[in-house]
Amino acid sequence: MRRSRRAASTEHALVRLLAVGLALMMVSACAVRTDQIARDPNTVRIALNGWVGYEASAEVLAYVLREEMGYEVQLMRVSEQPSWQALDQGVLDVIVENWGHEDLMELYGPEGNGTVVDGGPNGNEGVIGWYVPAYMEEEYPEITTVEGLKEHTDLFRTAETGDQGEFLGGAPGFVTQDQGMIDAFDLDLEIVYAGSEASQITEVRRRYANEEPVLFYFYDPQWLQEELDLVRVDFPDYEEGCADDPSEVPCDYPAYELNKIFRAGFAETGDPAYQFLDNWTWTNADQNRVAQMIADEGMDPTDAAEVWVEENPDVWRPWIPKDVEPAG
Amino acid sequence: MAALTRPATGGSGGVGGAAGPRQPSVLANPWVRALAVIAVFVAGYGLFRYLGSPAWAGPFPTGIGDRFMAWLDGVYAWIVENRNDSPLFLYGFNYVSVGLGSAVVLINRVLDLLTWAGVTVIGVLGAWRVAGWRVALLVLATFAVFALTGLWDESMTTLALIITSVLIALVFGVPLGILAGRSEAFHRGIRPVLDFMQIMPAFAYLLPFVLLFGIGNPAAAVVTAVYAIPPAVRITALGIREVPKGAVEATTSLGSTPWQVLTKVQLPMAKRTILLGVNQTIMLAVSMVVIASVIGAGGLGDAIYQALSKVNVGEAFQAGLAIVMLAIAMDRVTGAVGHGARTPHIPPRFRLPVLGTGLVAVIVVVTAARAVGAGGWPRELSVDISAPVNAFYEAVQAGIGTYTAALSEWTLDWVLTPLSALLTGSPWWLVVVVAAALGWTLAGWRAGLVSGASFVVIGLLGVWVNAMDTLSQVLVASAVTLALGVAVGVLMSRSDVFAMLLRPVLDAMQTLPPFVYLIPAVALFTIGRVPALVAAVIFALPPVIRLVNDGIRGVPAATKEAALSQGSTKWQLLSKVELPMARGSLLLAVNQGIILVLSMVVMGALVGAGSLGFDVVFGLAQNELGLGLASGLAIVCLGLFLDRVTQGRRAPRA
Repeated sequence: MRRSRRAASTEHALVRLLAVGLALMMVSACAVRTDQIARDPNTVRIALNGWVGYEASAEVLAYVLREEMGYEVQLMRVSEQPSWQALDQGVLDVIVENWGHEDLMELYGPEGNGTVVDGGPNGNEGVIGWYVPAYMEEEYPEITTVEGLKEHTDLFRTAETGDQGEFLGGAPGFVTQDQGMIDAFDLDLEIVYAGSEASQITEVRRRYANEEPVLFYFYDPQWLQEELDLVRVDFPDYEEGCADDPSEVPCDYPAYELNKIFRAGFAETGDPAYQFLDNWTWTNADQNRVAQMIADEGMDPTDAAEVWVEENPDVWRPWIPKDVEPAG
Repeated sequence: MAALTRPATGGSGGVGGAAGPRQPSVLANPWVRALAVIAVFVAGYGLFRYLGSPAWAGPFPTGIGDRFMAWLDGVYAWIVENRNDSPLFLYGFNYVSVGLGSAVVLINRVLDLLTWAGVTVIGVLGAWRVAGWRVALLVLATFAVFALTGLWDESMTTLALIITSVLIALVFGVPLGILAGRSEAFHRGIRPVLDFMQIMPAFAYLLPFVLLFGIGNPAAAVVTAVYAIPPAVRITALGIREVPKGAVEATTSLGSTPWQVLTKVQLPMAKRTILLGVNQTIMLAVSMVVIASVIGAGGLGDAIYQALSKVNVGEAFQAGLAIVMLAIAMDRVTGAVGHGARTPHIPPRFRLPVLGTGLVAVIVVVTAARAVGAGGWPRELSVDISAPVNAFYEAVQAGIGTYTAALSEWTLDWVLTPLSALLTGSPWWLVVVVAAALGWTLAGWRAGLVSGASFVVIGLLGVWVNAMDTLSQVLVASAVTLALGVAVGVLMSRSDVFAMLLRPVLDAMQTLPPFVYLIPAVALFTIGRVPALVAAVIFALPPVIRLVNDGIRGVPAATKEAALSQGSTKWQLLSKVELPMARGSLLLAVNQGIILVLSMVVMGALVGAGSLGFDVVFGLAQNELGLGLASGLAIVCLGLFLDRVTQGRRAPRA
């Protein structure tokens, strides 16, 4: 939002003020639906969920929309579930990286109140699972199996969990089935809820530096995977329906084909911005490249997106719909 | 529970006095009785443990609470279903949400239209006119921080949101305050509502407001306004009440209508106090806009979140610094309006020309800036201080990390875990009785009833075990806060130099968003309850220190001289004269300290404190209205209990 705003001329800004005022006057005359909030049609509003991989995707898309297609882009930072709600309320147009959430699709999708549509896969594959640092596997090679883990839960004891092993949970907004897995496999573990991804990563880094044991919820693509050497614990593969009862989940997390979610009204416009987002797919490697520039090298997200866009024209050119003139 | 009694006795004074010969009976001292109650409680816990914790002596059954949460979840589903069909929304909430959302966007556009140069000139000239050149320089420094941290646009977004929500808060708050000032019945009716609003953790009502007003700016503006309204109402009411009765009666006897009394006498005479309320409202709004970023409000809070998702403490600190500057500048400007001090004296005949010159200057600057194509401050021209901050942070972590981690483990093993076991492991009815007894002993039968009832309500909400665990954390954090606060406060009252050095640090501690120091707390104290405790102590400490300092400095010099001339040592002077005489301030410090610690419960959940705070955060993140709201209400109940118990027998606050 900020970058494009700077470019706007005086006239542009005045016209927009007028448009906002007009919208206000218009809506004050009749019943108001939430999607009538003042906004201009030239703005694409993208949800920004709180992990860096997501941010990488969103920033690259925003960069191309702004610089190559002349749109304004608003990135709104919200958690996963509230982003769906924002689509439903007409406040946002798209979620660019969705992990599962079948329940929400039932609620808001075509079967529910029909305010969102599935935009298909974005090319990224997501893995959620239980992770331990590689140095633990070196010392206890069997620890990445269910039986081995069960035997060694005492390694993970901390002052916080007393005589049970500690399982470090993920951020509260994330998809989880950890308690169900603990119960199903009868593991002597207690979940400590990190409460936020930032504190979880801080703690994992601290233990990693001291080579202390740690067992935690994590996922891939995630930039920390490049910084630390982590190993995933093997559980029986996910099968359809094995996670239906949240109190007893005798299987691993499913592999996610990450997808896009559009606001139905946005998809219906068939706008070039929609077509562009619809065409977009890229690989985990693409996302990690950008995410690492943001998280590890501490680059400004927009600068990181710019670097990637300059390096990879062959990847993103095909996303732009044919009939769109490249903007200056 | 011992935590409650220790600091309030002011070190040794209270208990020592109780043992003295003048007391007719040891049990007449409320502190001794409170200790007895706690002893009974611990004995009871031991007994039921010995009996093998039978089912009838366990935690509160959750049946009713579960049904309550399910009902709330049903309400949630209904709203989602009907938001764009029900007239309640089509003609009600949606208007508000569209109006507010647009208002924030409009103000932001105006700030944008003025360009960075224009905003700075208006801010500085305005500050000079109402508050003098010192404050004007501070405002200039604030804008410089916005610009040089590369956060100009974010700051303007935050400023727009603050302006909108403060306006809403004042539009509703001042008239309510006037009503409360003029009518005793209304005042009595609205006070519990205000108490409730102030204790309810902001996170817990984010979700309902998102549901009603839509995610993003509209809900953020309403939530911020709701959070900031109580002082506007309270202080306005106080101002109106403080107007001398004689003045009102004189005007009435001269035949003035009530409206005339209000506009010609009460409001003008209460103006200073009301402006103080405005000041407090703004300060609360500033602290809330950061939290509002959770629901998509953008701005500086967003910059902090962005930094945290990368675990970049330096960057978060940089954004935090911008907020601190914003808060201090707004405080000084509005504070100066209230006090009228340092306002440049301009003779009336020059006032219009000065205003005119100012306006011309603004117009010239804006036009010139727009002509050269300026907008927000160019990001290229910024100074990055995150690298040195990060280096410092890493050095501290490397230097003392092992010791702090060990301290953390000790605290868990010897303090938090046993206390939590005591509270969660005792039969619920025993806890209710103990709470009621404590309330009754320390603050009278009314407080006793409220305390007992609060705990029953917590049980009915279905979150008993979590609430007890949270209570144990709050008690420990409060004890640490009060011990440190009294110690530092005493030192501060001893040395003017120390006090002068400490004040800006306290200002910064009070305005720095807690998010900024949560992550360093984890790095030093390992994830879990201890970093949450540390963060709560940092947050609650400044007002406690200030109150203790003020209280001791308020002891008349003559009294101290008398004590010294009778041969008191310094320690005797402190423990027998100064602390007992500052009792009012100390009690208030205890009360404020505990309530502030409680308000950090939800923040603490972000670093692994779990319990009620986590359920509030979880409810918000997973759209579980029932769980989030029930846990939020339970926090209010805990607050009610702690507030009543620590208010003592003195008259209730205004």
